[in-house]
Amino acid sequence: MTFRFWPRSLAARTALVLLVGLIMVQAAGLAIHAMDRIDLQRLAEVRNISFRVVGLYRTVELTKPEDRSAVLGELHHGPGLRAVLSDAPPVDQFLPEMPPEGQRFWRINLNLVGMPPPFHWRGMQILGGPLWHRIVIGLRLPDGEWLNVTAPLEPLRPWHSPTFLAAFLLMTVVAAGLTLWAVRRLTAPVRTLAAAAEALGRDVNAPPLPEDGPLEVATAAAAFNTMAARIRRFVQDRTELLTAIGHDLRTPITRLKLRAEFIEDDEQRGKVLADLEELEAMVSATLAFGRDARTSEPVEALDVAELLRTILDETGDALPDVVPRLGYEGPPHWTVRARPLGLKRALTNLVSNAVKYGDSARVRLVPPASVGAAGAMLTIEIEDDGPGIPPGELEQVFEPFHRGEPSRNRETGGVGLGLPIARNILRAHGGDVVLGNRAAGGAKATATLPV
Amino acid sequence: MLALFSRSMDQPPHIMVVDDDREIRDLLARFLEKHRMRVTAVRDARDARRAWANGHYQLIVLDLMLPGESGLDFARWLRGQSDVPIVMLTAMGEETDRIIGLELGADDYVPKPFNPRELLARVRAVLRRAGDSVGQRHDGTARPLRFAGWTLEPARRRLLNPDGAEVALTGGEYDLLLALVERANRVLTRDMLLDLLRGRQAGPFDRAIDVAISRLRRKLEDDGRNAQLIKTVRGGGYVLAATVEHA
Repeated sequence: MTFRFWPRSLAARTALVLLVGLIMVQAAGLAIHAMDRIDLQRLAEVRNISFRVVGLYRTVELTKPEDRSAVLGELHHGPGLRAVLSDAPPVDQFLPEMPPEGQRFWRINLNLVGMPPPFHWRGMQILGGPLWHRIVIGLRLPDGEWLNVTAPLEPLRPWHSPTFLAAFLLMTVVAAGLTLWAVRRLTAPVRTLAAAAEALGRDVNAPPLPEDGPLEVATAAAAFNTMAARIRRFVQDRTELLTAIGHDLRTPITRLKLRAEFIEDDEQRGKVLADLEELEAMVSATLAFGRDARTSEPVEALDVAELLRTILDETGDALPDVVPRLGYEGPPHWTVRARPLGLKRALTNLVSNAVKYGDSARVRLVPPASVGAAGAMLTIEIEDDGPGIPPGELEQVFEPFHRGEPSRNRETGGVGLGLPIARNILRAHGGDVVLGNRAAGGAKATATLPV
Repeated sequence: MLALFSRSMDQPPHIMVVDDDREIRDLLARFLEKHRMRVTAVRDARDARRAWANGHYQLIVLDLMLPGESGLDFARWLRGQSDVPIVMLTAMGEETDRIIGLELGADDYVPKPFNPRELLARVRAVLRRAGDSVGQRHDGTARPLRFAGWTLEPARRRLLNPDGAEVALTGGEYDLLLALVERANRVLTRDMLLDLLRGRQAGPFDRAIDVAISRLRRKLEDDGRNAQLIKTVRGGGYVLAATVEHA
């Protein structure tokens, strides 16, 4: 099960967890603060009303019964307070008796205010409560009369402090900002490592990672650099071996080619020469693979459309039977900046591969949709009508010396370097090449080249 | 071809082959002799100097990698002595060597392992150019040739379009275009052009010429039916109609 809003990046996930935690802690803090304020407000209110009620009671009790109404009229009760004398305990059709929990609180506070022993009320009744925004307290005088006081209760104001809220908000924003900054900083080495691994995949000679920062990061960087060095050593050994073999094979191949010219039998001579061509092509591929794709060859402007047509011309000249199944589609001219020999080798390899396995090669040059835009890519598609490639091998065919199913190798020759070389060269240009199968059957190589 | 090789008909051209591999040296000598050339084969620069002092040569086939003094050094020395054409045998695909070789005044290069027929075609093409333009040959070989906005760079065997972008040419197309450009406004017969493509392309040579010319016209953006640059001459021949400047 996956959450819809669960982000994919480590930084976002960490930040999300921390921010949700922060919000929860802050919410709890706010709730505690609000409850505290409510309690305080209530207590202050109860105390205040209690003092005044007790004061009224004492005044009334000290007054002679016949003067009580007049004195009560003279007294200043305080805002909202209303006091009346009655023969009966307070009754209000809208106010029920206060629940026992609340009554206890009020009684405790009234008793707490208290009064010297000769004075004490003989009975008490409390109606209403915070829910009704007012309270009625009835106190029975010694002679059976009741003093009934009605007091308003202020509505609760847990947030009645703008400075507190502003400070709270500021605190939250600052904490969130710090969290985001810290998370970005802490996850940056992971991104650097990923970028370095990516760069190493493209080029074994990519510069090493800086081995600094926190201990764990430095250790990971050092381990990565060691691994990169081992891979580099391995690749170097292999390419040096290949290059040495390729160099040494040139002299005997040259001799054999010369010898072949002295074979009288035309048919035999043709066959020997064809074998030697194939052998030379393999050596040449091996050498091309051994050489770094970033050779000293300079980058120059060239007409890639004309290059593709020339490659097709040469393919057709070598294999006249295939000519009807070769084709070019696209603009007649298109200039790119590239290494001319390298690019020609890469594209020739792709066309040869199509002809070798698909007995056909239809090339399509697709210029980028918007010229000059950053990252604009030129696409070159090479389609054939062959059996296609098993889906599991679409990437494997770019591995050096991978040659598909063993049975067809003797027929088609090659050392399995054509596609790896093409990919090396195109990647060194900032492009790439991938293989796919067409819905209509056959394979399609898609090469890209930055413009 | 008759016009081009009138001299070689009387007297086969004398070629010096310099290569340190004995077998290649001997086989190459036999191969060239089979194709009506006189060959003196030597193993290193020292022997080559001695042979140079004692003979008269129309062309030198020189391996770049020689024991002792390198082929490049020998070529430099030779250029100080003479304008004799040099065809270099270079390591396969090593671009820097070939550029240096051509800048030093080699007339052509053939990467090893070479196809003997390809080498023969190049030797013949170089002999033809040398025989055709004695005296003025060396003021122009390595320098770019400009015509109708296009630039042909012999030093790097490549064609640049008016925008300066390289336009791919096959070896045969390059030789054909160079022959046309070097003799702009002069008719080249089909026989002359055929000689350039011999050994390079499969199939009937007659068709090869027409195909190569039509591809050149396409590359030079010269409308095939109404060609203005490479014109067809009635009676079998082609002419490049343009003013050529040595840049």
